[in-house]
Amino acid sequence: MKTLKTLLTAVLALTIALLPSCMKYGPSEEEEFNVDPSGDGLFIINEGNYMYGNASLSYYDPATKHVENEVFFRANGFKLGDVAQSMTMADGIGWLVVNNSGVIFGIDPATFKEKRRLTGFTSPRYLHMLSPTKAYVTQIWDPRVFVVNPVTCETTGYVTTDMDYESGSTEMMVAYGKYIITNCWSYQNRILKIDTSTDTVVQSLVVGIQPESMAMDCNGKLWVLTDGGYEDSEYGYEAARLLRIDPDSFRIEQTFYFPDGAVASKLTVNSEGDELYWLDTGVWKMPVDAAHLPVRPFISRDGSLFYGLTVNPVNGEIYVSDAVDFVQSGVVLRYSPDGELIDTFNVGINPGNFCWR
Amino acid sequence: MKRMAAIILLLLVPVLVRAQNDDWWNSDPSYVVPIDAAAVTADRPMRDIGIQETKLDTIALRDNIALSIADVLTFNSSVFVKQYGRGSLSTIAFRGTSASHTQVSWNGMKINSPMLGMTDFSMIPSYFIDDASLLHGSSSLSMSGGGLGGAVVLATEPADYKGLGMQAVQGIGSFGTFDEFLRVTWSNDHWQTSTRAVYTSSRNDFTYRNYNKKVDGQYPIDTNRCGAIKDFHILQEVYYNTGHGDRFGMNAWYMSSTRGVPMLSVDYRGNQSYINQQGENTLRSVLSWDHERRSWKLHAKAGYNGTRQAYDFIRDKGNGQMVQMVESRSRINTIYGQTEAEFFLPGNWMLTAQLAAYQHFVQSTDRNATVRTGAVIDGNTKKVAIGYDQARFEVLSYVSAKWQPGPRLGLSASLREELYGYSFTPLIPAVYADYLLSRKGNVRLKASASRNFRFPTLNDLYFMPGGNPDLKPEKGLSYDAGVSFATAKTDSYSLEGEVTWFDSFIDDWIVWIPTFKGYWTPRNVKQVHAYGIETKAGGFYQFNKDWQLHLNGSFSWTPSINNGDPTDWADEAIGKQLVYVPLLSSSVNGSLAFRSWKLTYKWCYYSERFTTSDNDIKSKIGRVLPYFMNDIVLEKRFVTAPAEISLKLAVNNIFNEEYESVLNRPMPGRNFEFFLELRPNFRRK
Repeated sequence: MKTLKTLLTAVLALTIALLPSCMKYGPSEEEEFNVDPSGDGLFIINEGNYMYGNASLSYYDPATKHVENEVFFRANGFKLGDVAQSMTMADGIGWLVVNNSGVIFGIDPATFKEKRRLTGFTSPRYLHMLSPTKAYVTQIWDPRVFVVNPVTCETTGYVTTDMDYESGSTEMMVAYGKYIITNCWSYQNRILKIDTSTDTVVQSLVVGIQPESMAMDCNGKLWVLTDGGYEDSEYGYEAARLLRIDPDSFRIEQTFYFPDGAVASKLTVNSEGDELYWLDTGVWKMPVDAAHLPVRPFISRDGSLFYGLTVNPVNGEIYVSDAVDFVQSGVVLRYSPDGELIDTFNVGINPGNFCWR
Repeated sequence: MKRMAAIILLLLVPVLVRAQNDDWWNSDPSYVVPIDAAAVTADRPMRDIGIQETKLDTIALRDNIALSIADVLTFNSSVFVKQYGRGSLSTIAFRGTSASHTQVSWNGMKINSPMLGMTDFSMIPSYFIDDASLLHGSSSLSMSGGGLGGAVVLATEPADYKGLGMQAVQGIGSFGTFDEFLRVTWSNDHWQTSTRAVYTSSRNDFTYRNYNKKVDGQYPIDTNRCGAIKDFHILQEVYYNTGHGDRFGMNAWYMSSTRGVPMLSVDYRGNQSYINQQGENTLRSVLSWDHERRSWKLHAKAGYNGTRQAYDFIRDKGNGQMVQMVESRSRINTIYGQTEAEFFLPGNWMLTAQLAAYQHFVQSTDRNATVRTGAVIDGNTKKVAIGYDQARFEVLSYVSAKWQPGPRLGLSASLREELYGYSFTPLIPAVYADYLLSRKGNVRLKASASRNFRFPTLNDLYFMPGGNPDLKPEKGLSYDAGVSFATAKTDSYSLEGEVTWFDSFIDDWIVWIPTFKGYWTPRNVKQVHAYGIETKAGGFYQFNKDWQLHLNGSFSWTPSINNGDPTDWADEAIGKQLVYVPLLSSSVNGSLAFRSWKLTYKWCYYSERFTTSDNDIKSKIGRVLPYFMNDIVLEKRFVTAPAEISLKLAVNNIFNEEYESVLNRPMPGRNFEFFLELRPNFRRK
């Protein structure tokens, strides 16, 4: 019995000793960055996982092949948020759109410090700067394009559309004169032309199910890539398409049909604007004056899950991100314009978009 | 490390334990309960040969009315309870598996959502459950297939108190929390009825220092917005006992819940009015017939489980006008029937046969879209619902033979075969054995081995978009072995403990992953090796007739390793711990009773839960740190002639810790709730 009492006393003593916790949540130190403003610099926008709040920003210096990860958090001492969608450089500020946090941060591209903050959105996707005091912000599952003043950080109006609130969506924006052309992606099939002087939709064009991305070529022609939706969808399903559109007349000039099952995405152009690039398992390349889709990818790599794509506007180098299994650090692969691998580097989770400084 | 070693030492030390009956209407105010050595050291029944089971005692289930089964398991077991916030979704995972690998039954009927495969334990009030036990690993096959981690068996029992009884509890707590509970029972020699109702409401608007945001250069004090809770449950039971070995029962449990869905701590959409909430109306009912004879038993059940779920996101457009942005709806109707027979044959044989059938009907709409066929803005349009409408018939058949060749050895083998839609599982065999090593201390060795399969859920197969009808079932192979002991001295002490090693391999683990088209889809991608050690121990120590100590603890070490092939050339996840599976988890629960006073201390610990498959610990944004949680309860009971009254003060998170159970989901700091309980004495002469 004495042994038992001793044992119980020891247990109680241990229990009491272990009661306090070992929490480590608390303030984070702000790191000082000051990257060289000369030369190229590539921001990698890592979406993170939906509802995890683990989006992040990476910065890569092509000259030194040096990458810094989580630079937004490290420079500012707080998190970027949930699902970072895009980043746009304008007037010396990098505008980071964080979709499921409903916020846009304007950061200094040299120090990564927050300089501006835009809020009041429902589900922002892209920002396009029209003037120092006016920008458009597209939304998913909200039919409106928000008109914001990036200086006062206020919403000044909306471009209304005929879509509804449950499935309306606007995505990327391409400027053409006084117009902005935006693609309506999720459960939509059109592109819209918006007059920026009146903030109204002046034309729409049905291009195919789910126009996913757009790019303007050297001839002033708009290229649109549709992903075709998904199988058994009540909305419809079709093969992906690549379309050339005259932005003036807003008519389709040429349509290229992808084979059934293709998962084409991330359309972009090279620095000269005379070649189109996109992802479809590998990286594909096509001159803008081609008569047919290419039959084989420009870059393919077995065991890779290509997720994001950009072309260096200065030297035509190709950067493609690999999301691996979607729940670990992604990897970016850097290729020469000829398709030779130059460098690989680890970034954050789900690197979906890029932005050149 | 030192602290961890101490935890392990603490939990391997055999402490006390014993089951306790619910003192329903108690005329003695003392919390000191008699210790019955015979009950603690009794031989295990034949049906439990080789079974690894954790029974939750009534003390834990009746701690306070504000607790859900998720809260009870947090402090009374070492399974992983994943809480998405206070009053939010809470799931249970055993032995390094996921929430959908936990099978759950209520009065014999499986209540896992056929859409999601999991169960929200925050929606099950602990006061609505009279008998709860965890079946670990292979032991879950006696209830159902698919429990690759284990099973939670929940049941209600007839009140064994003759005459009229009533219990009323009022709780008032922090964050505008009110809990009301009422139970009325009546019984005679043949009839027993019980009606229980609980209503919980809470603004749930706790504040916390948000280290994930800055406002004017400072970390703000944020409020948990949109977290309000209104839950109502009512449970009606009627039993008729013939007195000649037959019992008929009816259990009907209706629940109506409206809960806000709190925003992440990194959400900035709180500056305008919005509603982000889910609603659920569920009716579960079971009719039962138990027929018992000396050498055989027959049980038959029929049931219905109907659920309506809604999720709405409504917000201000910016001009004061509210618009619906998400309107998702689902309807689940399940009809259930089951028969089970047990035969006790000469030579210490027991045979069991069980046949259960479930018919699920599921309609799920996630979103409404407008199909536009015109080339101009005002083109032709039609509305379509994005979702699915499916039915699935499931048949679960099970036979087992148990044999006790001698007083020390028990052997058992079982076979299970299940049908899901048009697909049969392969035969699911399991074998169990135990051996009484020593009568002194009741030291018993246990071991089991089994296969197991889990079929994809209806969302896995048909969700729009992303459902994958080509998914294969997950396949499991598990072994475990352990040793248990129990010793006691009447009115002095009791001690029980168990250590178990387990090892399981799961192939074709289903994981939802994003696609290039913006939606998620499930794939069979992983081979997982989950292994480890579970320990539990507990008991009572009675210092004298006025003082009594009760302690129990549990500890699990659960490596759950991704052993699949790399999915990508850069894949660093192979050989790493699965996402959101803690390597270590533990709980200790102790109470000290002095006559009509009782002080209870509850403590739990989870090690870091990785949020990345490569277990990245360099990241500063994706870590869910280890945490200890400490709650304390002080209670006092009075017995007066007309009624028994008890007062209780619960202090949760007494050290006001800042912690997260899930990444970027805020949890409350120190909070309080006071309870007043009344039990009228209707027997008063």
